[in-house]
Amino acid sequence: MLSNNLGKVALSLVVALFLGACATQQATTTTKSDDAYTGTETVKFLADGVPDRVFFATNKSELTSAATATLAKQATYLKANPTLNVVLEGHADERGTREYNLALGERRATAAKNFLISNGIAANRIKVISYGKEKPANPASNVLAWSQNRRAVTVKTN
Amino acid sequence: MQKSLKISFIAHFIILIISSVTLPFLMGRVQAPLVISVDLVQIGDRTNIPYAPKVSDGEKTDKKIKDRVVTGQAPPKIVPKEKPDAVPLPENIKKIKELLEKRQNPVKVEELKKQTSEFEKKEIFDPNKISALIDKSKKDNAEANNKPSLEATQSQQKNIVTSKLTITQEDAIKAQIFKCWNIPIGLPYNENLTVRIKIKLNPDGSLVSSEILDQARMSMTGQTYYKILAESALRAVKLCNPLKVPSSGYEKWKEMQLNFDAKEMLKG
Amino acid sequence: MKYKIFTIFALFFILTVKSFALVSVDITRGNLDPLPTAISDFYLDSKLNDNIKKLQLESKIPELIKNNLSRSGLFFALEKKSFIQKPELAHNKPRFEDWAFIKAQVLVTGKISLEKENRLRVEFKLWDVVSANELSALAFYTAPDNWRRVSHMISDKIYERLTGEKGYFDTRIIYVAESGPKVDRKKRLAIMDQDGFGVKYLTLGNELVLTPRFNPTSQHVTYMSYFKNLPRVYLLNLETGIQDLVGDFPGMTFAPRFSPDGKKIIMSFAQEGNSDIYTMDIKTRIVEKITDHPSIDTSPSYSPDGSYIAFNSDRSGFQQIYTMKSDGSNVKRISFGEGLYGTPVWSPRGDLIAFTKLYRNKFYIGVMRSDGSGERLLTENYYQEAPSWAPNGRVLIFYRETASDSGGRGGGAKLWSIDLTGYNERLIPTPTDASDPSWSGLLSGK
Repeated sequence: MLSNNLGKVALSLVVALFLGACATQQATTTTKSDDAYTGTETVKFLADGVPDRVFFATNKSELTSAATATLAKQATYLKANPTLNVVLEGHADERGTREYNLALGERRATAAKNFLISNGIAANRIKVISYGKEKPANPASNVLAWSQNRRAVTVKTN
Repeated sequence: MQKSLKISFIAHFIILIISSVTLPFLMGRVQAPLVISVDLVQIGDRTNIPYAPKVSDGEKTDKKIKDRVVTGQAPPKIVPKEKPDAVPLPENIKKIKELLEKRQNPVKVEELKKQTSEFEKKEIFDPNKISALIDKSKKDNAEANNKPSLEATQSQQKNIVTSKLTITQEDAIKAQIFKCWNIPIGLPYNENLTVRIKIKLNPDGSLVSSEILDQARMSMTGQTYYKILAESALRAVKLCNPLKVPSSGYEKWKEMQLNFDAKEMLKG
Repeated sequence: MKYKIFTIFALFFILTVKSFALVSVDITRGNLDPLPTAISDFYLDSKLNDNIKKLQLESKIPELIKNNLSRSGLFFALEKKSFIQKPELAHNKPRFEDWAFIKAQVLVTGKISLEKENRLRVEFKLWDVVSANELSALAFYTAPDNWRRVSHMISDKIYERLTGEKGYFDTRIIYVAESGPKVDRKKRLAIMDQDGFGVKYLTLGNELVLTPRFNPTSQHVTYMSYFKNLPRVYLLNLETGIQDLVGDFPGMTFAPRFSPDGKKIIMSFAQEGNSDIYTMDIKTRIVEKITDHPSIDTSPSYSPDGSYIAFNSDRSGFQQIYTMKSDGSNVKRISFGEGLYGTPVWSPRGDLIAFTKLYRNKFYIGVMRSDGSGERLLTENYYQEAPSWAPNGRVLIFYRETASDSGGRGGGAKLWSIDLTGYNERLIPTPTDASDPSWSGLLSGK
């Protein structure tokens, strides 16, 4: 059973990496609509193999396939730890007006939250907060940093 | 000395700690600096100064000043869009120029000069062509710099003036006054404000007299805008004294009515 | 034959009459160059005591006036060294030739005397040098420490007398003072005079604060704070220092602004990924929902008469500017240019809406008419946003950020002002980095 699960995790990791590699290769030619970050820099882990954050394309709050893969892992992890509560922090990059970014961060965090709920996590275990562009993960002013900052981060609250 | 300094330092530190613990937010009464009141007393908005020169005297004085300026440097009115300059005393000129440069980025000065034309452009500005606009304004700048000095333009105009008809003559007069008239930018553009000034000229173009035709409106309440516009128009007429006039046809232009209307400029 | 003679006669008559008719010339253009202005040192009454003399107000007041007027871009203050006439004589009886000689068109003179113990009388006169006229003369009574405020008020009077439009010098600016690294930025509310003088910090920086905005009387401020990690809109009374939570919303409230009568706060409330616009009456605490749309609706701003609201929405798919009636009806998109539009702010005159525009990775501050026509971009930069109007509707203040390097260093934010011509752009000095400025109304207009 456990090994089965591990196998699934490993498989999805491979898939995620594969997709990631594809996306990075495409990055130079793709348009803004799919410029979500796919690397692992700045990513922390809730537990072994469970990344704490998902990334978004510019001005978007739709979950990418990489994001849903990550959130699926988070859901599995949260199911396995039923006393754990989390807050989803939504963020935007610095290339937008402050107020709109606050709303956008909230929308991103909510998108992640709704995915967790639809994967069986109780709504009362998840809180949402938006920081807009106020708390960048990477302070640089370049395309890479911005993509790393368009994110929703799952943070344990207990 | 050292000791007391230490004590004071520690005491201050304690106060800081205490205040940072007690002050914050919830209880936090933040102190905004108070606005201290100032009493205002009107000394009289339209004081008539007994020693102020009478109109005719004033014009004579004006003329004298002009003469001095004219002898002091190049013909004053032809120098176009001249930046307000300080005393033309030679020893001061350098300093003033330095100061001018320090005060403002010279590029900005350049831009200020051409805002008239820019205004019109922006009126029909197509938001889809921002970059084009920016490039264009740069080009305009370059053009402005490459333009032959306005002195040349002026003399060309003069030639035309002497040989041609009223419209050209009119344009020449207009062109001069445009440069002398500092438009008060705060006036409303959606109100009908036209100031009519009657001027009398000598054959050499110097001003004999200037009078506002709706003088009464100047002192009416609620006509502040009119008054401000009229004052600026009068200044323009006097600053442009003497006008460059056609060498013939004195009878035609010895008296003129100038209608000052800033609407187009203010619409920007 | 008779007819011929008559015709010739008539023609001659017409021609002569025509030649004697008053030539009428329409002057419809002029220049918008700064007005050459001489600001003389003030004349100090010899009876003043040494404590006051020490303040050197006779030169400091004119200096401040000069600073104000030249920063407006509408005045060119002539260099003091070139002045010929002494302050006392200039104030009592200016020799206009002397001032015309240095090409001043207007002249400011003044006199400082003691009214009674520790109470100053500051008098100024404004002269039209070209027409040899006095334009205005006023006296102010105040405590000596308050000389800056008096200087600002004098500046406003001069500005108004010569441009026909109220000034904006006797005003303050509330903003967010920033310090520390970008990933852990400390933000405090700060207030200062319009010229950057007298900065006071209103919060300690323990929690993130954003977007402070004055109410119409400039005595209250509404802003957003992350106090206790709950992002909410607050109301601060500047005179008592008391801060209140605005409303009882089960989620983030943000982007607050006052209604023009100061009675309501309009803001966004975000819930379940959707931000809509709400108002709350400050006294009755009655909350009203103004927009109801699954898109992001934020950055609301009332028209000065309170009957319309401009706001920011991405209901078209991207951030654009919309207007609606104050009850939420009659929603109309007004921005149609390429790029994204945000932060609409209605001018105090009502005719224009200032905005931030993002186009091809550049940020612009611009204005458009309230129907969306006549868009004009005033300034372009790497990053800038959040325009706020000076009370006379001629100048905008905003903040501008510079890019940081790949290590995240070097980025910073500063306050700038620009006037509607787009040519008079000025840095407003602040001791720390600064963002989210809001311009107060005229303090003397209360």
